[in-house]
Amino acid sequence: FYVQESYQEKVEVRVAELQKAVDEYSKARNEFAAKATEEQIKLLKFQRKLQDETDKPYVDHSLHDTVYNLLLEGSHRHAEQLYKDFKIPDKRYWWLKISALAEKNDWEELEKF
Amino acid sequence: MAAHLSYGRVNLNVLREAARKELREFLDRCAGSKAIVWDEYLTGPFGLIAQYSLLKEHEVEKMFTLKPGSLPPADVKNIIFFVRPKLEIMDIIAGNVKSEVKQRSHRDFHILFVPRRSLLCEQRLEEQGVLGSFINIDQYILDLIPYDGDLLSMESESAFRECYLENDQTSLYHAAKGLMTLQALYGTIPQIYGKGECARHVANMMLRMKREFAGSQNQILPVFDTLLLLDRNVDLLTPLATQLTYEGLIDEIYGITNGYAKLPPEKFIQKKQGEGGKDLPTEPKKLQLNSAEELYAEIRDKNFNAVGAVLSKKAKIISAAFEERHNAKTVGEIKQFVSQLPHMQAARSSLANHTSIAELIKDITTSEAFFDNLTVEQEFMTGVDTDKVNTYIEDCIAQKDPLIKILRLVCMQSVCNNGLKQKVLDYYKREILQTYGYEHILTLNNLEKAGLLKLQTNARNNYPTIRKTLKLWMDDVNEQNPNDISYVYSGYAPLSVRLAQILVRPGWRSIEEVLKMLPGPHFEERQQLPSGLHKKRENRTTLIFFLGGVTYAEIAALRFLSQMEEGGTEYIIASTKLINGTSWIKSLMDKLEAPPF
Repeated sequence: FYVQESYQEKVEVRVAELQKAVDEYSKARNEFAAKATEEQIKLLKFQRKLQDETDKPYVDHSLHDTVYNLLLEGSHRHAEQLYKDFKIPDKRYWWLKISALAEKNDWEELEKF
Repeated sequence: MAAHLSYGRVNLNVLREAARKELREFLDRCAGSKAIVWDEYLTGPFGLIAQYSLLKEHEVEKMFTLKPGSLPPADVKNIIFFVRPKLEIMDIIAGNVKSEVKQRSHRDFHILFVPRRSLLCEQRLEEQGVLGSFINIDQYILDLIPYDGDLLSMESESAFRECYLENDQTSLYHAAKGLMTLQALYGTIPQIYGKGECARHVANMMLRMKREFAGSQNQILPVFDTLLLLDRNVDLLTPLATQLTYEGLIDEIYGITNGYAKLPPEKFIQKKQGEGGKDLPTEPKKLQLNSAEELYAEIRDKNFNAVGAVLSKKAKIISAAFEERHNAKTVGEIKQFVSQLPHMQAARSSLANHTSIAELIKDITTSEAFFDNLTVEQEFMTGVDTDKVNTYIEDCIAQKDPLIKILRLVCMQSVCNNGLKQKVLDYYKREILQTYGYEHILTLNNLEKAGLLKLQTNARNNYPTIRKTLKLWMDDVNEQNPNDISYVYSGYAPLSVRLAQILVRPGWRSIEEVLKMLPGPHFEERQQLPSGLHKKRENRTTLIFFLGGVTYAEIAALRFLSQMEEGGTEYIIASTKLINGTSWIKSLMDKLEAPPF
């Protein structure tokens, strides 16, 4: 329910609504959902920060797309950080990196790993 | 006339005629010229009942689609709204009426609710202050729509979602009402079998409705011997699998709505030569698909691998028939040849169409992606490694394949494993949320509620037992000349249809154990017939009702059983909706979109 609410407002309000969702999920002992929601909050905050820094739209992309876009932009540092923070499985991360670099025709970077 | 409805043992044209009669009566009640404002969703189903020509005969001059704002100008006396009873729609109507009253002088407004009027909606109209503007408020009971000679559908998109997710039993009430209408036309159905919560519910409602009419006995000789009610959630696996019949594949790839498929136009251009222009048609080609078309009736239910052979054989027959003209010598022979021409030309164009469609489908079925996907499905159905994270699914997520494809596979694995282990389930869920976005947490939640995704609670997986007892997997499947229903999925026999088959012979008592493993109660009821209407018949007719949707492949399997000599049972199929895995999962998804910042 709070999840639905959270899709109507600005980022700050959304974070607050999602925080309520976390509380409700924990009360309902739905640990998976609580954890997933916490991660979403973390992601939203991160995207917000990125958006302010780069003036490009990041909010509302999934984690996967965010990392993909970051790789396309060449901000490998941010991408690595997300990869570690959100424990993206190696396999998927490699897929991501390869397809992003291939789209960019960045063969040098591809050579590197 | 709709010839395709009357070829079977049960003449469904009777039902269609009854529906048309009621429509005509309503239209005549609004004297004078009319304009119809359509709830867009209803136009498709109505097209199966009445064409524009029928409406025209009853002074319908204009048709509009329901839109907020004011109505397009029309010089007519009556404005009729054909709508579903939904509150949002009432608000739009109120807006329409208000602006119309402001602009023009006198109009008569009418509403026709399909399938039932609702007090809530009328209250909403009253709140909006327009209820008094309506001269007629009526309902048009359209529960079961004849779709083909052996097929009825309620065309209720969200029935599965409502019944199994939202616990809303409105569509079950409509189903029960629809069955009562059928019984009024085709006689009381003496035997009712069922499996599942919703089935039990519908049967209870039917029996109650019958008691309410206890005074009037139905004196019609029963056409149906048996009614079998099946919950979709008894068999969640079948719709998840990719259908491999010709019609099933058209639906999987292009989608069939209300009997029409929209196909990419590129393959059909050669026929436009006459028009001279070189520009490519950009509109998708719309084709009506039903058994009125001789060729389609023959190939629709075949395994796709058997369609090519039929098409090439047909091509030879037709070109041989055209060659005949060289042999025609006498005037009589020529005359006979000419009289056959229209029929032959129709056959030729139908053949050309289906050859094009088959080519389109073949491009896809021979692709690597299709093959890989099918291989994984078949592994799951045979029980290979269903308790681990599947690497193919992992790869698909990593490449961000369409979400519905992923969900179909994950749900299938869950169903074939009687739930997934916590670790596996959480892994998939996390991967999906991270890749496709957090908002899908609601969709995942819905799938869990509907039982499509679940956590394995007890250690035992009963799917292998079900599979073995019901012979759901056949290794030696014959796609060209099938001897078992498993041909529709090239190996997998749809559980739902197996249940129907076993019910006839040797009866459900033989599989009591397995029935207990499937969700919901199973039951049997009898309805008393007035004396004198009992009869002994060799060939039995069964009406099988899928509550929550049926796939084209299941229909094909039932038609196959109808044709089997020793079966002796002919099936008429009814459903809340014709579905495939994709449309089904879609109906369970929640879409959230944030406003742009």
